[in-house]
Amino acid sequence: MNEETTCWDDVSDVLAAGMARVLLYGPPGTGKTFAALHFGAPGGAAERIVCTDDLTSGEITGTWMPRGEQGFEWWDGPAIRAWCANEGQGGRLVVDEVDRASGDALATLLAVTDSVESSRWRHPDTREWLRPGPDFSVVMTSNVDDLEEIPSALRDRFPVRIRVDRPHPAALERLSADLRVPAENGSLGPAERRVSLRAFYAFDQLRDAYGPRRAADLVFGPVADHVLDALSVSAVS
Amino acid sequence: MSVIYPELASGRGDLRAGPWLVRAGSALRGGASCQLKERILEVPLEAGARARVVRAHELMHARVSPLAEHFGACRDLPVRALECAEEYRVNALLSRTGFDVGLLADGSEKAGGRSLAAAGEWAEAACFFVAVAGTGAERAFLAGVRQVRPEWAKALRILGRRVEAVVASLATDVMASTRSGEDELPVGFGRSTLEIARVLARVMDARVPVSTEELRTFRRSLEPGGRRPVTGRFALLVVDPRPSLVEGTGTSAIRRPRPSVSGTTLRYPGRLVFDARRRAFSTRVTRRAGVVVIDQSGSMEIDPGEITRLLRHAPGSLVVGYSHRPGDHTNAPNAWVLARRGCVASDFPVGNVGNGVDGPVLRWAASMRRRSEPLVWVTDGQVTDSNDYPDPALTDECAQLVRLHRIRLVRRVSEVEKVLRQPTPMTPFELRSFGRVGRRLGELRLV
Repeated sequence: MNEETTCWDDVSDVLAAGMARVLLYGPPGTGKTFAALHFGAPGGAAERIVCTDDLTSGEITGTWMPRGEQGFEWWDGPAIRAWCANEGQGGRLVVDEVDRASGDALATLLAVTDSVESSRWRHPDTREWLRPGPDFSVVMTSNVDDLEEIPSALRDRFPVRIRVDRPHPAALERLSADLRVPAENGSLGPAERRVSLRAFYAFDQLRDAYGPRRAADLVFGPVADHVLDALSVSAVS
Repeated sequence: MSVIYPELASGRGDLRAGPWLVRAGSALRGGASCQLKERILEVPLEAGARARVVRAHELMHARVSPLAEHFGACRDLPVRALECAEEYRVNALLSRTGFDVGLLADGSEKAGGRSLAAAGEWAEAACFFVAVAGTGAERAFLAGVRQVRPEWAKALRILGRRVEAVVASLATDVMASTRSGEDELPVGFGRSTLEIARVLARVMDARVPVSTEELRTFRRSLEPGGRRPVTGRFALLVVDPRPSLVEGTGTSAIRRPRPSVSGTTLRYPGRLVFDARRRAFSTRVTRRAGVVVIDQSGSMEIDPGEITRLLRHAPGSLVVGYSHRPGDHTNAPNAWVLARRGCVASDFPVGNVGNGVDGPVLRWAASMRRRSEPLVWVTDGQVTDSNDYPDPALTDECAQLVRLHRIRLVRRVSEVEKVLRQPTPMTPFELRSFGRVGRRLGELRLV
């Protein structure tokens, strides 16, 4: 019918085909992470890393943790857990906000998201060399509108990049019927008037309890009137 | 500075979703707009209740208004009527949604009403009235009109009530629906805007009613199934620009040699002996041609066979037929050339609708006439306006044209050839058989 179906169809098709490296980017609040965590993950489970400026490689591959008076024990990070998930077959690793990763973390991400053949990592505790399982897959997400903002080496590892600019239909289904279309289009505008799906969830929930006026005030603050006007017009048919 | 959310408001099945470009406009009339296809919204961004309703008005356009191609599909209606009817629908929907449409006025309406009335712009006054009906601008506009032409205000109020009745029975969701209907037009547009535009188009054409009786007739003409109102003027003449003419095949020689008792060329010397009148010379006789205008309206009951015979016997003439469909605004041809100086139409419309363009077609025919060749009008003497009402002023106009251009009237197509061959003036007795025009010509003759 229109673009929204197409972009999510693309995501669905790519994940269903077992594509092991996918980059989803576009405005926030459209359900990229939700899709990455739930659609096509081997064994139904996925590990997640949220990148920040302070992300360390320890939060990716693992870290030594104190264990009472007996010293330290090694805790695998999400990347290694995903490598070894499903009895060594590999699982899904979801890397959110990948454009924010920097320094050591980025280097580690490059290493762990490389192809199954090229990746290997020595376990600090057991000293054995680990490789990702054959079903290991990575879905990265980013809120950038321009792919150039993502490091080229990382981009190179993700040949399939899909711009997701609207919420997933399944995510919209959780909203009241009159809010679905506005929520679907709310992410299309420029940043200053973009309304995320999360805001709609909150508005929907509060509206049931306190009515639309109060709910709009609580969620949308100074622009509540304008959002309510648009919603009134939208609900006319 | 206000923020407007066209993306939230404009979700509809017939329009590809996408980001809108918002430009700063104003709350003054004409200062805000919505371009659906380009997704551009021009609205006042300042604070204030009126600016807010103007923004909502444009958002409503973004939500329910039809695309340009839908307007284009309604070729039988004036674009201005459609635009103003759509304004009415948008304002009515805004009102039903809870917006205070009383704020939709910028103070210019009274002066606007005065100036339209002073300029005699009835059609535009009717359109503008519908566009602002139900809003805060309605009363001021009517007051301005009333100052100059009180009779217009009465007719406009009748129009207002009729338009209100069109949408009163429609549910809001139907009125706003952008779903495609059986006619492939959006349901809301088809059920409300189009109906209002039809009423408005009739009113735009109508002669402004003045007397109580005229007002009653006017009101009835706006009711569903009512006959179109009196317009008191001819329709625009549209001559078919592409007639299918072929070379004439009948006795088409226009100048023929004829034996004569005098001349410069002794062409038939034998006749000096054998012809009792001794017509030995040759002279060229020009077969008479002329301009023939044929009223092909329903009342004439013209047999197409008669036209075919005429075309065979008078191919050198310019023959034009006419008949206007009452209320037609599509610019469909209402006149067509049947023969033009040797070429004749292989096929021609039957007509059989109204007259509507008697005066314009006579003027056109007179302008096409060559020197003193005869101009013949096949008519029953009935002259009607664009909605097929007889009108004394139009009858008089045609009678004056007949006198001015010495147009010969005949009742039947079969009489044309004889008149072309031997043009004779009409007797007062003959004039009586030409209905209103004949009577008027009789009066003019007496004067």
